[in-house]
Amino acid sequence: MPRSFLFALMAFALGLATEVQAHATLDHAEPRVGNTVAAAPHEVTLWFTQKLEAAFSSITVTNAAGERVDSGKTRVSGSQMSVTLKAGGAGTYRVNWRVLSVDTHTTEGNFNFQVGH
Amino acid sequence: MDWAWADSDALLIAIRALHFAATAVTAGALIFRAVVADPAARHAGLAIASRVSSSRRLAMIGLAVAVPSGVVWVLLVTMRMSGLSLGDALGADGLGTVIGETQFGQASAVRLLCCLILAACLVFDRVALLRWGALLAALGFVAGLAWTGHAGSTPDPLGEVHLAADVLHLIAASAWIGGLFQLAEMLITGRRQQALTWRGYQFDGIRRFSTLGMVGVATLTLSGLVNSWLLVGSWRGLVGTDYGLLLSAKLVLFAVMLAFAAINKLWWTPRLGSVAQGEPEPTAVRRLARNTMIELALGLMIFAIVGALGIQHPAIHMAH
Repeated sequence: MPRSFLFALMAFALGLATEVQAHATLDHAEPRVGNTVAAAPHEVTLWFTQKLEAAFSSITVTNAAGERVDSGKTRVSGSQMSVTLKAGGAGTYRVNWRVLSVDTHTTEGNFNFQVGH
Repeated sequence: MDWAWADSDALLIAIRALHFAATAVTAGALIFRAVVADPAARHAGLAIASRVSSSRRLAMIGLAVAVPSGVVWVLLVTMRMSGLSLGDALGADGLGTVIGETQFGQASAVRLLCCLILAACLVFDRVALLRWGALLAALGFVAGLAWTGHAGSTPDPLGEVHLAADVLHLIAASAWIGGLFQLAEMLITGRRQQALTWRGYQFDGIRRFSTLGMVGVATLTLSGLVNSWLLVGSWRGLVGTDYGLLLSAKLVLFAVMLAFAAINKLWWTPRLGSVAQGEPEPTAVRRLARNTMIELALGLMIFAIVGALGIQHPAIHMAH
C-alpha cells in the first residue's frame, strides 16, 4: 500500500479526533425540573435517553442549607434512576446527577425544584 | 503521573478504529473462505492448500491486532468510567467493576472468550468441524460489538430491534470490507498464477464475491436505515449535529465505495471472459484489483469515522 495513502489515512483519522464530546441527556424528572411542588417528595426520579449502568450512576439531593437529604442509595432500572428522600420542609432543593450510559458515556448535571411557595 | 492521555478522544478514536478494522478483517477472512474461496476451489476442482492457509493467516493477523487493541480499548474506557489511574484501574474497583457490573465489560469478556475459541479453532484448522467453529466464533466476536455501543443502550421497546439491526450491520460490513482484503489478495496473487485451473478458481471467486457484496450492501443499507432512524431520527439531526455530519461523511464514502463496486460488478466482472481464452493477465483482472484497493482504502476511512461516531452522543438526542 503506498506510503502517501497511509499518511492521508492517518491525517483523516486525526482530523476526526478534534473536539469530539459526548453529552448524555436527561429526558425528564419527577419532581419536574424547575417546578414547584406543594409538599416535599418521598423520592426523586430521573429518566434518561439511554440505558444506564448502576455501578457508575448516582443522584444526590441537597436542601436550601446545602445538607444532603437523599438516602444515599440510588436505584437504577433501565434508563430510569431514583433516590429516596428524607423528610424535609419547604425551600429550594438541588438535584445533582452523574450517569454512565450503557454505551460508556459519562455525564453529569443538576437542576433545582421548589417545595412550598 | 498525569493520566490525562486516557481522556484523549484522539487516542480512543484511533484504538476503536483499529479494533473495528481488525475485527472486520478477522471475520471477513473467514466469511470469504466459507462462501467464496472454498466453494470456488471445489468448483474449479482445485486442491489449493495455500488458498486455505491464506484465509487462516489473514484471520490470525486480524486477531493478533484485534486482541491487544481490544484490551487497550477496555482499559481506556475503564479509566474514563472510574476516573482511576492505570494501576488502580487494573484492580477490583476498576476492571473488576467494569467487567462484572457493566454491559460494556460483560460484552467485552464474552468477545474475549470468542477470541480464545477462534484462536483454538484456527490452530486446529484442518478439522472441518473446527473450520465452521472458527466462523461461528468470528461471527460472535464481531456481533458482540453491538452490545458495547449505542445499539446496546437504546431503551425498550426498540432496544432489541436496534441490537438486531446493529448485529446485521456489523456482520455485513465485515463480510464486505473485511472480504475485500481477501479479494485483493486473490486478485494480486492471480497475476503470478498462469495455470488455467487457477484462473478458473479466481474468476469464479470474483463472481461469488460479487454476489456476497450485493447481499452485504443490501443488508448494510436496510440495517443502516434502522440505525439512522433510531440514532438520527430527522433531517435536522443529520445536518445539524456533529453526529449527523460524521454519519453524512460515512454515507458519502459508502456511496463512492458502492460506485466502484457497481463498476466492478457491471463492467469489469462480465469482461473476465472465458478461462479457456487463456489471456495471461486480463485487463479486467487488473482493473478489478485497482478498484478493489480503492474500495479498501475507502472502507478503512469508514472505520475511522466509526471510531469517532461511537464516542459521540446520538443526534436524535441533540437536535432539539
